[in-house]
Order: sequence, then C-alpha cells, then structure tokens
Amino acid sequence: MATENAYLLFDVPGGRLAFGDGDLDIWAEHLTWCYRMMGIGDGATIAVQDFGSSPISFLGSSLLMPGLQRGVAERIDGRFICLDASAERVTLTPALLAQLAVDALVIREDVIALLSAELHKKGFAELAQRTMKTIVVFGDEPPAFNPGRLQPWRHLMHVESALLLAPQCVRCECFHLREGFYEVDGRRIRNLRLTAPAYDLPRGELFSPSHCAAGSRDWCIGWSPRGRGI
Amino acid sequence: MRDTTSSCARNDAIETLSGAQLTAWQTDRLREVANYAYQEVPFYRELWDRAGVEPGLLRSIEDFARFPTISKHDLVQAGNCWTNPHQGPVAFSTRGTSGDPLLVWLSAEEEEAYILPTMRGFRWAGFRSGMTALLMSPVWHRLAACEAHAIARLGGRCAFFWGSMGSEYTDSFLQTLSSERPEFITTTAPFLLSLIRRSTGATIRPHELFKGVRSVVVVGLPLTPRMREFLRDRLQVEDVFERGGTQEGAATDECQWHTAPHVHEDVCYLEVVDDVGIHAAPGARGRLIVTKLTTAGSIFVRYDTGDIAAFAPGECACGCGFRRLKIYGRPESSVLVGDRLITAYDVRMCIEEDPALVGRNVLLISEANARAGVLTVAVEGDARDPAKLRARLRERLEVATAHIVWLGDLRVNWGFRQVLDGREVRLPRS
Repeated sequence: MATENAYLLFDVPGGRLAFGDGDLDIWAEHLTWCYRMMGIGDGATIAVQDFGSSPISFLGSSLLMPGLQRGVAERIDGRFICLDASAERVTLTPALLAQLAVDALVIREDVIALLSAELHKKGFAELAQRTMKTIVVFGDEPPAFNPGRLQPWRHLMHVESALLLAPQCVRCECFHLREGFYEVDGRRIRNLRLTAPAYDLPRGELFSPSHCAAGSRDWCIGWSPRGRGI
Repeated sequence: MRDTTSSCARNDAIETLSGAQLTAWQTDRLREVANYAYQEVPFYRELWDRAGVEPGLLRSIEDFARFPTISKHDLVQAGNCWTNPHQGPVAFSTRGTSGDPLLVWLSAEEEEAYILPTMRGFRWAGFRSGMTALLMSPVWHRLAACEAHAIARLGGRCAFFWGSMGSEYTDSFLQTLSSERPEFITTTAPFLLSLIRRSTGATIRPHELFKGVRSVVVVGLPLTPRMREFLRDRLQVEDVFERGGTQEGAATDECQWHTAPHVHEDVCYLEVVDDVGIHAAPGARGRLIVTKLTTAGSIFVRYDTGDIAAFAPGECACGCGFRRLKIYGRPESSVLVGDRLITAYDVRMCIEEDPALVGRNVLLISEANARAGVLTVAVEGDARDPAKLRARLRERLEVATAHIVWLGDLRVNWGFRQVLDGREVRLPRS
C-alpha cells in the first residue's frame, strides 16, 4: 500500500497524494468502474471541469500523466475533454458544448452555479440538460437542490485528501465504497490502495455489504432524497 | 496506435542538420502533412481545391507559401469537416480571447512527437535527472500535458499544486513550493507577477520559498529583458526562461542566451507574414502562421494565429540552428494608434527604461481617440516622472500624443489580457 519511489506528487485540499510505478492504473481502473456504476458506457465522450491536480482530471487519459498505461478514455475506448475548473475557463464551456456533443459532463460542485449562469446567458441551458448527463462532484455531502442550476443526473463523491471516489449507483442510488479499495470501521473510511489519511464520514447513512446487487460486497453511503438534492 | 519510433529518431537527428538540410526535411514533412490533410480532412480538400493548390506538387517552401491561410473562425465554422480520423482521444480548449474557443485534439502519436522538444527545452533551461519540477496543470494546455511526460523521461519527479493558474491560487502554489522544494518550475508569467505582488509586505517573502529553485520557465507573457531581471531578482532564482506555444502546434523554448525562443523545428513549421501575406524578413514583425508537422491530432496547416511575431536575425551563440522567434502579442493585447499597431510588450519596454517602474502592471486602454494618434496607458502605482515618460512613449512608439493614467492603489489583476476598453472601466484620470 505504501508508495515507494513516488514520482508524481499532488497537493490536494487537506493532504497530499503520492504515486509511484503502477499506482495510477489502479486508480484509473477504479475511476472507470465509478463511471460504469453511474451508467456511463463504452465509447462515451466525457468532459471534466475540474482542476488538473484532481484525479478525476489527471486519470482521464494516459496522455495526461506519465506512468499511466491506460486512463479512463483508453479503458472505455472513449474521449476525454479537459476543461479546467477556473472561473475563466468555465465561462468558455457553453461555446465548447455547442461545438461538440458530450455524453457526460463531470463538474465540481463549486463551479456548477457559474456554469449554469453561463449556459442560461447563452441560451444553451435547456439543450445541455437534454443532451448530456451531468455528474456533479461533491466532497462531504451532495449539494442541496437548486432549481436554477443544471440538474445533476448523478453525483460522484470525491474526498481529495483520502482519494475517496464513491459513485452514485444507478441501481440503489447510494454511493458505493468499492470492496478492496476502501475499508469501513464505524464511520471511518480507510483507503486500502494508497497511503492517505482516513476519512470520517460526517453525515449520511452507512449500509453494510449486501445492500445492493450492483456491488454486493461494497459498503454504501446513503443520503435522504432531500440530502441528495432531490 | 501508430509506431512512433521513426519520428523519435527523426527528432533526435534534426538538431544537427544544416539550414538547407532542415529546409529540405521540413519540406518533406509539409508535403506529407498536406497530402494527408487533403485525403483525410474534407475541410482542407475543399479549401485547396477552391484555391487551386495541389499537395502532390508541393516541392519547396515557396510552393507551400501559396497555400491559403486559415483562421480560427474558419475551423469553428467547418465543424466536423475539420475532423481528422486520427485526431486522438483527448481535447483541450483554446482560451477564447479572440471569439469562440476551439477544441483541439491530441493523440498519443502527436504527444510523442511533442514530448521530445519539451525535453529539449527543459534541458536548455537546466533541468537535470533527479530534480523535482513543480508543473502547470496538465489539463490547462496541450503543451502542459507533455510536461510531466518530459520530466519523467528526464528522470525527475513532478509535483502539482491544487487549483489553476488564476491569482487566487497563488497561496496554494506557495504551499506546494514550500513542501516539495522543487529545483525547477513551469508556470505563467502573470501568475508569478501576481504572486510577487501579493507577497509584498508579507512575513515570508517569495524568495525564501523559492530557495533552491534553479530555473523558472514561464509562458503566457512575452518577457522584456527587464521583466526577466525583475523576476530573477525578486525570486532569487538562478534563471528565468521564456517558453512559447499555442494549442495549434507552435512550440518554442529559450536557450541560456535568452536572445529569443528557438522554434522546435521538428514539430512545427512557423512563418511570419506581412499584411499582404509575404514572408517578413528576420527582424520584421508580422502575423504568425503555424503548421504542425504531424498528421496526428487536430490538423493545422497555415493557421493564422493572429499573434504578432518576428524571427530574430542572425544566429544564436548557443550553436543551435533552429530559428528564433519572439511573439510580441496578439490583436487583443495591442491597440491601433493612428496606423501603428502597438503591443503591450512595446509599451512595457518603454516604461521599464525607468528601473523603478519595472514590475508594475501596465495596461493599454483602447479609446476612440486612438485613431487620432493618442496612446492611452494605465500604469499601476503613483506617478513617476510623467513628463519624461510621456516624451519617451511619444518618441519610441512614434505616436502623436501619450496619455498616462496612474492607477495609484488600484490593483488590476495580472492576466493574459493587456488591453481594456476605455468604456469598460472608470479609471482615475491624470
């Protein structure tokens, strides 16, 4: 589990992630699994509006990181659009979405208000909502429902410091903590594949394995519909 | 995936070619790219059929100059007709400073071709095996995606800070700088200038955090000689290098002589043309035209970037035969005063003749009276020898009148945008 000879170092909020040989592919495979759990199929075009130091961005393709043999794009035989999450770049997204149909837009929760406003401004909000699946990435809990914003199709839980990536399952609507990647002890979630601080789940309900057939050995995190922004 | 071995070998050998050999080599690549584009990309086939040029008959650089230039607007309009069947799985956005942004695709084969010049540029800038490099976000730019690959192949470690290249992320950058202690940094000049300004008066001065940094490689703003000295002195780093590149394929890096960035001639063929499309002589400014020398990724053949650039005359003391190109700015970083196009770079050169003004943000103000030969410039901080500066601006830039607006305590973000519309802002008048 400990990463020897790390040559890729990422400062993230509340911590630091270090990767050595072979580490990145483990996590690219896991992120691909997350996308599949959220219903993103092979051949998809995924646009990610996140910072470059976020694994959701840098695991997107082997072209982005040395030592990554197959990123998400290569694993699903799809395409990956790099959209930085700075305010300046978010304002460009409507024009880009007008040029290219994307299957999924994965976006950080903290910039979705800005993107929604830009889409409305350009008269593109309705079309975007109709033609693509929006996956909103959050940290501790899903954002509250806001009718003025682009409505999420699914959520992806991402706690940067713990490299915790838990997708919202299409089947049970809960967030799967994949067996073999995370260990649950009380409300403490530990990463089994990378040296990272444990994460104490502050809210939400934990369901023990066998909760959902989509991942019968996974623990799941559930929020009430209201908590899920519905 | 295509075999990239032959292109790697080509890239290694090209540095030793004579001028004539390099021209012959590039002509072969241009013919290869043009033939491919004609066969595979409908946009080029239709364009060149209309223009009456035939890639198969391309025998010289002069033949190539007869191919029509294209603009971003043309490519946005072309939509799927511009698609290359081998364009690759990853796309980046241009910055949209001149209208709509454009999605530019990157393939593994193309990236392989660009990693080698990135390694070359980093070696010129002093990167050595075993060093740690603090790099720009790999999703920021197509060339930034090549950086981590280049560092890993040169035997180094890569560190990334959290966030992006806006001034609001300078604290995050400093935190990573402090924890990882890199010897090598790639970033943007506006970001560094924001960081220096933000640190003014802070308990920990930037140079304390930059201790141990040997080289800083910057993009995003053409460095004036005094700006380079300013950065070097304030950060107390050994050297500052200017890197250039566009999403459309231009790639340049400075050597230790800092005379102007060398063009990586193995991956791009760059031209500078005047208003009527004729090649400008070395030293003369014109518009930068880019052709990528690879058939992978998005295809750019004679793409007019809008950048204002000039090739440096003569040879570089470093011995490298690659031409040197200085990019001075874009229409968005310039104003037309009378009939003269004045870049923010030109104005900074003039202002920085007074050492006390180096490092202050300078903005050009686009106003209606510019047509009548009035140059309006906003300068951060309090007034300093305004009469002398006005005279200098008039004389050096050959304008009828120069107005200076001293911004006092008003701080304007260092950004890539260097021109403000006079109607957009209410500035203090001096």
